Amino acid sequence: MPIQSYFQERWGQAMKRKIRLTVNNETYDLEVENRRTLLEVIREDLHLLGTKQMCNMGECGSCTVLMDGQAVNSCITLAVEAHGKKIETIEGVARDGKLDPIQEAFVAKGAVQCGYCSPGMIMTAKDLLAKNPQPTEKEVKTAIAGNLCRCTGYVRIVDAILTAADTMKE
Amino acid sequence: MTKYDFVGKDVPRVDADVKVTGEAMFTTDVKLPNMLWGRMLRSPLPHAKILNIDTSKAERLNGVKAVITGEETPFVFGVSHMDQTPLQTEKVRYVGDPVAAVAAVNLDTALEALDLIQVDYEPLPAVFDPEEAMKEGAPIIHEGVERNIAANPRYNIGDVEKAFQNADHVFEDCLETQRVAHVCPEPHNCVAVWDQSGKLTFYYCSQMPSVTRVQLSKALGIPESKIRVITNNVGGGFGSRATSKFPMDFAAIVLARKAGRPVRIEYTRDEEFIYSTFRHKFIMTVKTGIKNDGTITGRHITNVCDNGAYSDYGPVVTNVGGAMQGTLYRFMDYRYDGYTVYTNLPYGGAMRGIGNPQVHYAGETQLNMIADRLGMDPLELRLKNVVRTGDETASGAILKSCGLAECLEEAADKIGWKEKRANPVPNRGLGIACGVHFTGVRLSPGIDADFAGATLTVNDDGSVNLATSCVDIGSGSSTALTQIAAEVLGIEIEKINTIFGDTETCPMGWGSRASRNTAIGGMAVQKAAEDARKQILKAAGEKLEVHPDDLDIRNSTVFVKSAPGKSLDVADVVRFNRYRKDGQAVMAKSHWDAPSQLADPVTGRGNFSMAFSFGAKAIEVEVDPGTGRIKVLNVAASQDLGKAINPLGAIGQIEGAVHMGLGFAMSEEIVLDDTGRMKNNYLLDYRVLTPLDMPPVSPILVETDDRAGAFGAKGVGEMATIGTPDALVSAVAGATGLFITDLPITPEKVLMGLKRKESK
Repeated sequence: MPIQSYFQERWGQAMKRKIRLTVNNETYDLEVENRRTLLEVIREDLHLLGTKQMCNMGECGSCTVLMDGQAVNSCITLAVEAHGKKIETIEGVARDGKLDPIQEAFVAKGAVQCGYCSPGMIMTAKDLLAKNPQPTEKEVKTAIAGNLCRCTGYVRIVDAILTAADTMKE
Repeated sequence: MTKYDFVGKDVPRVDADVKVTGEAMFTTDVKLPNMLWGRMLRSPLPHAKILNIDTSKAERLNGVKAVITGEETPFVFGVSHMDQTPLQTEKVRYVGDPVAAVAAVNLDTALEALDLIQVDYEPLPAVFDPEEAMKEGAPIIHEGVERNIAANPRYNIGDVEKAFQNADHVFEDCLETQRVAHVCPEPHNCVAVWDQSGKLTFYYCSQMPSVTRVQLSKALGIPESKIRVITNNVGGGFGSRATSKFPMDFAAIVLARKAGRPVRIEYTRDEEFIYSTFRHKFIMTVKTGIKNDGTITGRHITNVCDNGAYSDYGPVVTNVGGAMQGTLYRFMDYRYDGYTVYTNLPYGGAMRGIGNPQVHYAGETQLNMIADRLGMDPLELRLKNVVRTGDETASGAILKSCGLAECLEEAADKIGWKEKRANPVPNRGLGIACGVHFTGVRLSPGIDADFAGATLTVNDDGSVNLATSCVDIGSGSSTALTQIAAEVLGIEIEKINTIFGDTETCPMGWGSRASRNTAIGGMAVQKAAEDARKQILKAAGEKLEVHPDDLDIRNSTVFVKSAPGKSLDVADVVRFNRYRKDGQAVMAKSHWDAPSQLADPVTGRGNFSMAFSFGAKAIEVEVDPGTGRIKVLNVAASQDLGKAINPLGAIGQIEGAVHMGLGFAMSEEIVLDDTGRMKNNYLLDYRVLTPLDMPPVSPILVETDDRAGAFGAKGVGEMATIGTPDALVSAVAGATGLFITDLPITPEKVLMGLKRKESK
């Protein structure tokens, strides 16, 4: 059952709460219904459409954002849980018009095809490389095992993340 | 070989920058002011008469702006058979058949409104098995369709009975494939909006927007000029967004007109699994005659395709599988009997290879079973029988280029075929299979066309706007087409902006299906670019006072071949040409129809595609006899793709296709309950292989330079899917001695098979 229906069935029309989010270094004061997900607030209220919805059940990773530096599935994170937290979405990854090394590697290595999973995949890779700057191939595959890609067979994505790790070391 | 500046180079995708930043716009990102959310009410019963639909309570719910039933959607649609209406009025034919739709201010309200619609049904006897549905006395699903047989595509070439008499052995085996989902990352979704002039704008995630416009015009009875279809980036298609139209398309359009506001309908993931079509289930019997020396004398394949409740691509997939099995080996006596049979189940559609991977699975797996029975080397057996360049095949295909033997040899070499077979390791096995697929196709009866379009303008600053009929659904076609334009024009890739997907700015074409974008779409681009180049050279010749034949273009500079110092920027030429009395723009257009032919209506024979791609897969596995678990150790995937316009992109297509093929072989299956409701419609239950499941893949590109397509290119994406399950099943047989003939081969099936074998 979709999360919205679950909440609606249990508690009816939910109450609203005031929250403060810092998204890509900008602060937003919002009033949101308790039952709304972080993904909904990012896409519908903040109009940041780079974060994608694929399954809405925490099974595909396409909605991955960083919450206080930790990769989370924003479709199963309540917006109220993000109160006071720092959120980074795909829109915050490139800085001053320049791609991040992970993004550059995705472009150069052919890791992008349809591109629908790419934002979530890149956010997961950012989380991995922040914690483990020199991962093995197996560690990369394990990190992105929760991110579904239907186009590439993951070969070029793994290659791109390993390449980015090397670039960032230099 | 000719040296090229752009063609044949590993070029990063032209759309990669905006895709890695999240800026790339998909249809799911279309939000319009005042937009409503639409939702359809689906039948809970597999086969039932509709007695009454009461929508009054739903209409009264606060926030509901429109409610519609089938009375308001009297449109008939379909791919080859016009057997479907958007919302049912008289009876429902599968669990999920839509009966009503609502549009509301948000999704929650729309969902609540659906609960308030009262539908009274009278259940009818239903049939869920195509073989049962073909029997006399089975429930009839569509009035007037006897024994529920929607289509009966056949090939009857030569004399197959005589070929069996001339064989030393005749083998007959039954093989089955399961329903497999596309799992497009972007769900099927659309936004419809009407304006006061009666014009419809339809934001639609599609592989074929210009064909969609024709279909909508015919169904709705409004002129094409009053319909604009806009397709943004497409989050995966794999065939599910080709010419299929969906009830949601019409529901959104009618709701939008009724409510006077834009309406979005978007599938949830569980709907996407089963209501966006899927790969049909095939039940196949393959009979093959073979001589002691390994020569195949003839083949007879019978295929029962479970069509589901509506035809969509069912008749087409049944046909294509048959045509292609007559195009792989040199036997000339071939019979194929396809039956596309209605059942009270959700309906399938086109999926990467359009029926060909299923029938190839049966043919190739049986050939490996035969090799096993006769103690032959499956590689040698294939090399003895494969089609070669210059052949006219049983199906009537004329092979202007064919690298099939080379594909087999290279894949076998890469996997270590000879050494490993000579030195077997317990619980390990090798499997090999090969295949053929078309590059564009003329198999639709009545439509003698297979074309693409391109329009091209060179701007004042020497940059280029290229509009194509080919939608880049992730395949990388826009990049390949840009390379082709750059090569012909001598203008750098960065200066070319390639667009697709808007029927008001892009030319008409068949769109993205049948692996045709690079070769056929590329030819349209090549022709338009050649025309524009001629215009540039003519104007430059006037300005430089030399004959255009003595001019060439490179790096955006027009230069005199005999005096390279004498040159002009392309930009200067374009401005010179435009800003003078009786000036001209550098503009070109092309509509290119592939040189293929419609098949003979009686025998089914014909040269139905302009070029054929070939490929082979060789796979090594290790099977754990204690658990039945299959570990894929290596996959070698070779493909004759004519010419790799962008090798990086082609390799990515092959790797992705192997991933999809392994899922088809080992883990993916749509499981239905006894009323046809999908039981595993979530990603945790429907197992797409994860990165940890993926074995190393070695893609091998074999170039044969087929001159029919742009720069010698042939199709890639579909052929690459073919052969993976066939090779995998045979590799498992090599490891265990067991041929498991019904896909997917799960650990349970392997374990049960091993237990049965032990108890014998």
